[in-house]
Amino acid sequence: MLTKTTESLWGRMTSCARPRGCPANRRACRLSLGTQLGKLPHAVCVFLICSSLPAAERPRYGGTLRIEIHASIETADPPQLGPGMPDLAPAFAITRWEAGRRAAYAADENAPGGRPFLDAVEVELARPPRDQAIDLDVGKAEMIEIPPGEARRQPPGRRTWVSQPVRVLLLDFGARVDDPRAREALALAVDRTAIFNVLLQRQGEISGALLPQWLSGYAFVFNAASDAAKARGLAAAVPAPARSFSIGVEDAALRPIAERIALNARDAGLAVSLAPQAGAADVRLLEVRIAAADPAHALAAIAATLGLAAPPRADSADALYNAERELLDGFRVVPLFHLADVYGVAARVKGGPGISPLGQWRLENVWLEGARP
Amino acid sequence: MIAAVNGRRAAWTALLLWAAPLASAAENLDGAVRELAGKTVLLAGAGTPVSVSCRNASSLDSSDVARLRAAFEKMLQQAGGHAGQGATAVDVSLTLSENATDYLLVEEAGKGDERTVWIAAWKRAATGQAVVAGVGLEKKLAWEQEEQILDLAISGDAMLVLAPSRITLLARSVDRWEPRQSVRLKPPAPWPRDLRGRLRLSAPGFQAFLPGLACQGAIAPELSLDCRPGDQPWMLASGSRAPLAANFAPGRNYFDGRVATTTGVARSAPPFFSAAAVEDRASTYWLLALADGHAELFDANFNPLAPMPAWGSDLAGIDGRCGAATQVLATRAGDANEPDAIQSWALADRTAAPLTAPILFPGPVTALWAAGPDSALAVVRNPSSGKYEAYVVTLACGS
Repeated sequence: MLTKTTESLWGRMTSCARPRGCPANRRACRLSLGTQLGKLPHAVCVFLICSSLPAAERPRYGGTLRIEIHASIETADPPQLGPGMPDLAPAFAITRWEAGRRAAYAADENAPGGRPFLDAVEVELARPPRDQAIDLDVGKAEMIEIPPGEARRQPPGRRTWVSQPVRVLLLDFGARVDDPRAREALALAVDRTAIFNVLLQRQGEISGALLPQWLSGYAFVFNAASDAAKARGLAAAVPAPARSFSIGVEDAALRPIAERIALNARDAGLAVSLAPQAGAADVRLLEVRIAAADPAHALAAIAATLGLAAPPRADSADALYNAERELLDGFRVVPLFHLADVYGVAARVKGGPGISPLGQWRLENVWLEGARP
Repeated sequence: MIAAVNGRRAAWTALLLWAAPLASAAENLDGAVRELAGKTVLLAGAGTPVSVSCRNASSLDSSDVARLRAAFEKMLQQAGGHAGQGATAVDVSLTLSENATDYLLVEEAGKGDERTVWIAAWKRAATGQAVVAGVGLEKKLAWEQEEQILDLAISGDAMLVLAPSRITLLARSVDRWEPRQSVRLKPPAPWPRDLRGRLRLSAPGFQAFLPGLACQGAIAPELSLDCRPGDQPWMLASGSRAPLAANFAPGRNYFDGRVATTTGVARSAPPFFSAAAVEDRASTYWLLALADGHAELFDANFNPLAPMPAWGSDLAGIDGRCGAATQVLATRAGDANEPDAIQSWALADRTAAPLTAPILFPGPVTALWAAGPDSALAVVRNPSSGKYEAYVVTLACGS
């Protein structure tokens, strides 16, 4: 018996000539996908029939998940810390490492919690976002990164895995900008809303806090509104040499945001130019990652990353708020946005999400439809 | 959250009782209100009016905001302050918020140019999930626990629960089951990731089948278990029909296709997740949810006959007390992380026809086994509570 959905699709199938080599039986038709699709004269009909049959729910063993990422990791050894590939251990063990190009991992038969369902994971590095999207569309990749500005431009029906907002986009002032009024002036000059709407395509959250709202529950208390008049007033009170500084980005993807911040700064009477190299800049626009699900640990990790004084131990929300406020006093660091990790995922990937709320890869429980035991 | 919601009425009633000193950490919403109201009075002073505004940035019911305001103002009064407007008023903005573990009451108080933030937090509790009654099929919650339930068997006033780490014996005590004994399992190798297990009552004892481990046990005079490493075939029941002995693939989550009927005749089938025997026109057929994602009908010799609807990967054969004489319960196709459903089907002219509407579950069905002649055992992972729930599923005649 055909289900209603299958019947309607079957009608489409019979409205075009049955492809040679594709049996009338819809199951046989489904089995032909991938091995004969390229030879079939009416592949679209075949694809509609095939895609109408949902997968069984119990995980299947086998197959290789192909991931593409933007980062080009040039280290001699595969990364051991940080999000992404290091998260594959211990369920997967690295079998090949080509710095800046690709990595391959194989399932560990004795992995804690049991062998992963996938046989292998392959990661291609340094893939531009546009190429990643194409590879996902044509079936050359099963998991790709989606930058914040592209998240809303995805084709209808694209599956995504989205973490909590775990990347804090912030301004980090160097020692040369030693007048707190200049730092506050820039903090108030930044028009977060315009950047959020245009450059980030409304992905993530505007924030003036280091810890995102989902983690602390009080992020909204920190001011994130621009105040051009107050910024101009503060800038005017700063000696002219201190009103001029450079801004740098380590990730070229952040450059449009830095350019917009420089424009906002000029409107406030600050002379901000883009530095060719982030290391030499007076203020850096950078991303800091939330590294722990415990807010106190996460705050301490952010402080350590930014070279700020370690916050006092906080055993209550009130104490944690005060610790965070102290870190932000003086505007040495100015949080701007909290962004999520977003991955585009092929429909044949099952069992997700393959990322944790913190954006860590969790691929041991993922499996591929069509994998053969 | 349920505990918080259930306790809300009591909590708001308790707000009327201002007796306890200010707490350093709130235990619930009323404690948070009391704590912040007290701090506000200290900031404002007894004679200064406090202008209060409230908003909700949490998953708590929005109606709580209105009650929050009333309660806060009442607490102000009881602490010696008072709510009101005016040029000298202290402006207080209260926000109900939350993070992963706590609810927060955040107060932003402004007095002149001075701005103060106080936060009081209280723990979030786990949510519950209402049971939805099905039509045609009925489900009854038999047991729930934190650890995965692989199978569950009920014999009179005794119940056995098979979990990855142990087998537990429970005894019926009036209207509830109480754990009596448990025996730890010692897997010969790490369990597979999608672990499955099967209990089979065989008076006076029971058998437990796990990947690479076969156990014989007894529940009287006390729970005992003798487990030996090995790949002994699992016995798959289908109502009152003869069971099927099937080899479980080592380290995997499916049967490898080597099967034998009770006559001892060995057969070969494609790898499958589950099997159910059904009858049609006095002939026995086998329905297999294959490991490649399809369900297929086989004859008694396991020759393939016809594809079946797009079911999920778990099937259980039962006897029908009404409708068709033999029926198969099938999970719904879909992702393992989605809420699931079970539907009853009968075979007519080698075609499966639905007998009942699907019965819905709050999460994915992680196990479905025939539990008796006319019932099945369904284990569901409830994403709201994080617990595994075992339901006895039976056909509801005349519903």
